[in-house]
Amino acid sequence: MRVMRQAMFVLVVVVLFAVAGVWANGRSADEPQTRIIHMTARQYAFEPSTIRANLGDTLVFRLQSADVMHGFYLEGHDVEAVITPQSPYVELRRPSEPDARPQKVEEIVVTADRTGKFRYRCSHTCGTMHPFMMGELVVAPNRLFIASSWGIVGLTAGLAGTALSSRKKQNGA
Amino acid sequence: MNALETIERRSAAAPTGLPEPSKRTFLTGRRMELFEKFPRLYWLVTRRWFQFAVVVPNLLFFYAFLIAGVFGSPVGNRNIIIIFIWILWWFALITALVPFASRVWCTVCPLPFFGDWIQRRALINVRTGRTCGLQNQMYGLNKKWPKALSNIWLQNIAFLGLCTFSAMLVTRPIVTVWVLGSLIVLAALMAGVFRGRTFCNYVCPISGFLSLFSMTSTLALRSKDLDVCAKCKTKSCSVGSDKGWACPWGIYMGKLDRNNYCGLCMECVKSCPNDNIGLFLRPAMSDTRIKGYDESWKAFIMLTLAAAYSIVLLGPYGIVKDFANVAEVGDWKGFGIYAGGLWLTALAALPAAFAACVWIGRRLAGRSDLGQKEIFLGLSYVFVPMGLLAWIAFSFPLIMINGSYILNVMSDPMGRGWDLFRTAQIHWSPILPEYVGCIQAPLLFLGAFYAIRAGYRFALEKTGTPAVAVRLAAPVSILVTAITLAFLKLFVG
Ligand code: SF4
Ligand code: SF4
Ligand code: SF4
Ligand SMILES: [Cu+2]
Repeated sequence: MRVMRQAMFVLVVVVLFAVAGVWANGRSADEPQTRIIHMTARQYAFEPSTIRANLGDTLVFRLQSADVMHGFYLEGHDVEAVITPQSPYVELRRPSEPDARPQKVEEIVVTADRTGKFRYRCSHTCGTMHPFMMGELVVAPNRLFIASSWGIVGLTAGLAGTALSSRKKQNGA
Repeated sequence: MNALETIERRSAAAPTGLPEPSKRTFLTGRRMELFEKFPRLYWLVTRRWFQFAVVVPNLLFFYAFLIAGVFGSPVGNRNIIIIFIWILWWFALITALVPFASRVWCTVCPLPFFGDWIQRRALINVRTGRTCGLQNQMYGLNKKWPKALSNIWLQNIAFLGLCTFSAMLVTRPIVTVWVLGSLIVLAALMAGVFRGRTFCNYVCPISGFLSLFSMTSTLALRSKDLDVCAKCKTKSCSVGSDKGWACPWGIYMGKLDRNNYCGLCMECVKSCPNDNIGLFLRPAMSDTRIKGYDESWKAFIMLTLAAAYSIVLLGPYGIVKDFANVAEVGDWKGFGIYAGGLWLTALAALPAAFAACVWIGRRLAGRSDLGQKEIFLGLSYVFVPMGLLAWIAFSFPLIMINGSYILNVMSDPMGRGWDLFRTAQIHWSPILPEYVGCIQAPLLFLGAFYAIRAGYRFALEKTGTPAVAVRLAAPVSILVTAITLAFLKLFVG
């Protein structure tokens, strides 16, 4: 019974911290804007390696390769493209429509309509480290990160609280 | 008795302060004995052919993988050896086998197969006779491993060394072939010279983290009643009998209180004349005693490696990938920075930060009578649950992102254009990659929770007063929180 009460207490503290964190930091101040991103793929990295954007932004990707053929798979946004060296065009396909023909396009337009971290990964085998070739798109406000990091602090505080309150009981007894 | 000498380090003195139930065991708290619950399981593991039957299929797969590694495609993600070992096997091992089934991998591991045969000259039957105080006839030289090396330092260094080159290991089939091939040869050679599973106990690089993280496991093989062991005349579990081989890991059941160095080979279950060995289901994170600096450092190394891989392999930093991938890039200076940073963090920086936290905690608690070493060892356990959960969090994306490679290489194991099951051409398709973070964050949470709770419990045991215990454990808990925040930043930030 006591363990249950303590667990509930810790859980409540964690949730309170997480909610407070998101409440305090979970809104984006900036107006949505359009960002044009000139992305270069090379063995085994993307440049820029990190893109920061805000919810509602429009992202325009122009992709090129500095060496061999690469891919560009953006998590959570139904985008996968093949980048050919020396070509301004990429072959875009939608993973959700596996049978559709790829389109030749010069830019890929993505709306940042969900928050959090989305990795873009090479999707065309390009060499030894290919499976680990990736970059990060971080769309603010990153609620998962805010909630979990405040939650961790809450966890530590909550555990300390339960430990200290058990002292009071001992002293009272 | 010779065979019992090696055991000392493996186990503590008899437990004290336990309540007086009818049966004394090393397990406290809730538990369920599985042999009693599932008689068929008991029947199975007491068959003489049991281990042979589970190892041989594994051995065949292992050889098939090695052949594919030599003759197949040099591109890692087109070769079955890379995909099956570094994605499938690794994922199963760290997320399922170790946390839920202790060292069951060692039950089925093919590496010591030839070594066992060299020592036993038998695949199934057991030989009676006398060798160095054992009740079995053993072949090979049966030498004792030097006392100075009877710890896991060698494994610590070997593992860290191997992992320094992991960017090559997990991407190049031939490197994996060389490493696994050498291990199998070394295991056989060592079995010819040294007694039992000396290779497993002190050299196998996989063994170090299996031993450390098996402490967290919900499964444990233990003596059912320590009083029966104390009165037992034969000690067959340790020295063998006509029913089973002497424990190859040098364990005496009457002292086995942790999972760390038991390879779950089930020989003792067969040989115990008193049917006194049980396989228990118990709460996770039940073994909490770190017994030497070698084990503490193993915990530091494992946590550092989880962080390093998360940065190098799962991070966006191309330059670090180039550093680690020295075989292709040839930037030895960069590799030096990477390797130096890794070794320095694992062996010095993290231990130093931790030691400082322990020291401050002792000051805050005002208990200078508690020795630095004692508290250091005790609290270093916090990195065990934390490290395990960090590794699990690291491993989820491997399978969720690259799981479709498993289907590809099943149809085309060597990357030669075969299509055995019509799955070779399945397009690379990650499974819900955008939700990987939603799995990783709770896992890190769980790790921090277990770590902080374990630190506090140890502190309470030492100090007896919650308020003092909180102060003793506070700096380490804050360190745990900070490291967890850093992992969160890497994975979801
Ligand atoms: S310790 Fe290593 S070689 Fe021995 S059984 Fe376990 S994994 Fe295999
Ligand atoms: S043989 Fe059985 S009873 Fe005897 S010491 Fe070993 S486990 Fe205990
Ligand atoms: S004989 Fe028993 S104690 Fe020894 S390694 Fe095998 S299962 Fe573990
Ligand atoms: Cu690429």
